[in-house]
Amino acid sequence: MTTVAEPRAADREVSPVLAFVGRRLLGAAVSLLVASVLIFIGTSVLPGNAASVVLGRGATPAAVQKLEKQMHLNKPLTTQYTNWLGGFVHGDLGDSSIGLAQGQKHAPVWALISDPVKNSLILALITALFMIPLSLGLGAIAAVYAGRPADHAISIMSLAAIALPEFVIGSLLVGVFFVWLDVLPPVAIIPPGQSPLSDPTKLILPVATLLLASLAAGIRMVRAGMVETLQAEYVMAARLNGLSERWVLWRYAMRNALAPSVQVLAQNLQWLIGGIIITETVFAYPGLGSLLVTAVGNRDLGVVQSVAMLIAVVYVMLNLVADLIVLLLVPKLREPA
Amino acid sequence: MSDPHNPRPETGIELFDHRISRGTLLRGAAGTMLGMSPLLAAACGGGSSSSTAGTGASTSAGTPVKGGTLRAGFVGGGTAETLNLYQGVTPIDESRAQNLFDPLLVVNPDLTTGPGLALEFNANADATEYEIKLRPGVEFHNGKTFGAEDVIYSMRLMAKSANFASVPFVAGINLKDLKAINATTVKVPLLYPDADLGANFVYWNTWMVQNGETDFTKPVGTGPFMFDTFKAGTQSTFKRNPNYWQTGKPYVDELLIQSIDDNNARLEALQSGQIDAMAQLPTADAKAHQATGDITVLVAKSPQAMMFYMDTTQAPFTDVRVRQAMKLIADRPALVASAINGFGSIGNDIVGKGLPFYDNSLPQRVQDIAQAKSLLKQAGQENLTVTLQTSPIFPGFVEAATLLAQQAKAAGVTINLKQVPPSSYYNPSALYLKMAFAETQWPPPSIKFFYLQALSSKAPYNETHWKNAAWNDLLFKAIGETDQATAQQTWNQVQEIQYNQGGYINWTNADWVDGLSTKVKGLEPHPAGVLGNYLFMNAWLSA
Repeated sequence: MTTVAEPRAADREVSPVLAFVGRRLLGAAVSLLVASVLIFIGTSVLPGNAASVVLGRGATPAAVQKLEKQMHLNKPLTTQYTNWLGGFVHGDLGDSSIGLAQGQKHAPVWALISDPVKNSLILALITALFMIPLSLGLGAIAAVYAGRPADHAISIMSLAAIALPEFVIGSLLVGVFFVWLDVLPPVAIIPPGQSPLSDPTKLILPVATLLLASLAAGIRMVRAGMVETLQAEYVMAARLNGLSERWVLWRYAMRNALAPSVQVLAQNLQWLIGGIIITETVFAYPGLGSLLVTAVGNRDLGVVQSVAMLIAVVYVMLNLVADLIVLLLVPKLREPA
Repeated sequence: MSDPHNPRPETGIELFDHRISRGTLLRGAAGTMLGMSPLLAAACGGGSSSSTAGTGASTSAGTPVKGGTLRAGFVGGGTAETLNLYQGVTPIDESRAQNLFDPLLVVNPDLTTGPGLALEFNANADATEYEIKLRPGVEFHNGKTFGAEDVIYSMRLMAKSANFASVPFVAGINLKDLKAINATTVKVPLLYPDADLGANFVYWNTWMVQNGETDFTKPVGTGPFMFDTFKAGTQSTFKRNPNYWQTGKPYVDELLIQSIDDNNARLEALQSGQIDAMAQLPTADAKAHQATGDITVLVAKSPQAMMFYMDTTQAPFTDVRVRQAMKLIADRPALVASAINGFGSIGNDIVGKGLPFYDNSLPQRVQDIAQAKSLLKQAGQENLTVTLQTSPIFPGFVEAATLLAQQAKAAGVTINLKQVPPSSYYNPSALYLKMAFAETQWPPPSIKFFYLQALSSKAPYNETHWKNAAWNDLLFKAIGETDQATAQQTWNQVQEIQYNQGGYINWTNADWVDGLSTKVKGLEPHPAGVLGNYLFMNAWLSA
């Protein structure tokens, strides 16, 4: 028995972190596989397909059938699924169904979505750049001044913002900054090939919309964590030891309040992807969201499936990164169980 | 002159079976209207085309200024946007095609037709063969001269693929035997008599490409603007054609077409000066901005029919008295006022108001509850309950259906509304052509086109399931009739039968409603399409 126990102990000593990462990676892979099945089923049950869209509402059954054959839509769903997933794993996002229905031999999805992906990433990154420090800062302020006017102001404003959907916030901001003050453009039309960063004023309202709609959850989570840790014994002890309040706040309280907040921030970023789809439509921003909305309408399943799968990958990756950050922040997790 | 006893309808209809999906016309909600060629009309002893003048703001004041970029915003089509004019189905596709290419005949603001790339359409005595005389000296954007071989190639290309929207327009032509008589004359033999072939070559899905054209990624046309860039679902740009055959036009140096799907975003883009023109301004916004005057609201009367329809083969609509009663229940002025904010004329249960051969002599149908009740009583259908399937696929559909249900109560008829998703409404594998009582929209390019597509014996989109052999013979007699007066009489008979017995309740001919920056001049309301029928060659920008 002892001979068995020894290597086990050695294993645990070597790689509690690796084991954790391994488990998470496996979990991520399983999640993505499940997501791919759900995406495929979800898009397959949509009524109509690209063939009937290109042919129009009154396409004759014969014409639709011919086109479906051209597009391999007549093959069994399982074959279509494995073909698609196989391509995706090898970095081939497949062809646009609309392109194929229009008679093109190849209509690579990546060529269609590369610019929108870039534009959406820029929007998301800029938003995240503001969202993370603002959530932490405002959450900390609310916690330090808990129960005082600053806390109430932050809480009420963030709650009011989260209660409104993006299209309402977007319209309100347009109402104030374009219709009333006329200082910012109400839409973000960006010529193809040009970077959204070439005219940053166009990005202000979309970013502000996303921020307002997404900040509250982070702020409240940071606040809750901070309030709790500020009352913890070790914080008291630090204060009694004469450490400066700033040092106590950032070195002691914040670090411990961060762990649960990291997960919430990751969720916020994931949620941002959903918010972007609506916000982009409101501001006519040429990103993934606008593309996805029209692709669903056009039943361009090649595009929908690939974009949905990319979003799923981003989701899962964010979770993974958040888990790893928590691992770094909380030493206890790095020790053998 | 055609033989009225042998209209050869079957041949024609069979060919029409590979036609355009009618949805392609509908989905754009921006069909272009055709009219009878005035040349032919003159040859037949005088035209009879009624006109529907445009109304609303005019932008014609002043002398045109040259230069600048005109930026127009449309609802985008995402990855489905195409530069192939035979395949395109949406207004944004149309906006590009109409400025890159030219038609054989142009449609005038009164819905008659005039010479375009063709100067004359000359029929033989029984309208089974045509000679088309072409405009000499027209150049493609690549410098090639336009001629007979281009027309023959274009017509054959229109029929080449089943998924081309152009197919039905050439379905009555014997394409195999098309012949170039000389560089500017084409012989066009037909499969059945058609007294108004020219009407088939006005709609944008039938415009002329160069001989041998296969690649529409960099299209070459004869139109007022030349291709520059295109990114589907985003933006496309075009340069002024300096050698355009309509001398002096276009006025602007560059044309930019922008996809903006969201109605609010499109309007905001216009208001903030990021675009100069927007197609399809929602009627509620149009009303508001007519009052403020910050943008020019362009309103054009059009034959775009919005209708309820009853399947004449499904109970209780098999009884003509029930159909007549339903027609008498509708309060059309109230429907127009509330469902589309007054942006439409009152419908009269037949399609194509303003188009040549439309029957203007039929009395305007008005609400008559007492008569409706009496008809229902005769039919044994007092306290009738029916289900009306509606869908938010077109603005005004759900509103109109809701209002009709309220109006029907007065006649003791209960209309239960069932709202269904837009994706199944016009999908033949889901609900389309299976619903007993529903709504539809037709922007008919010509009266002929509507009747062949919706009501002839083999009509592919027979929403009312109308079948009547004698009426069908009459329809083909009307199509082939070369004598103008007799043709109008025959068309009147065709329409009167529909008016009295058919399954359509046409409540409005809806207007095209668009928005322009006050800087934009020269675009006039046009019944054939949005934004002055896309005639951007007429537009100029004031300082």
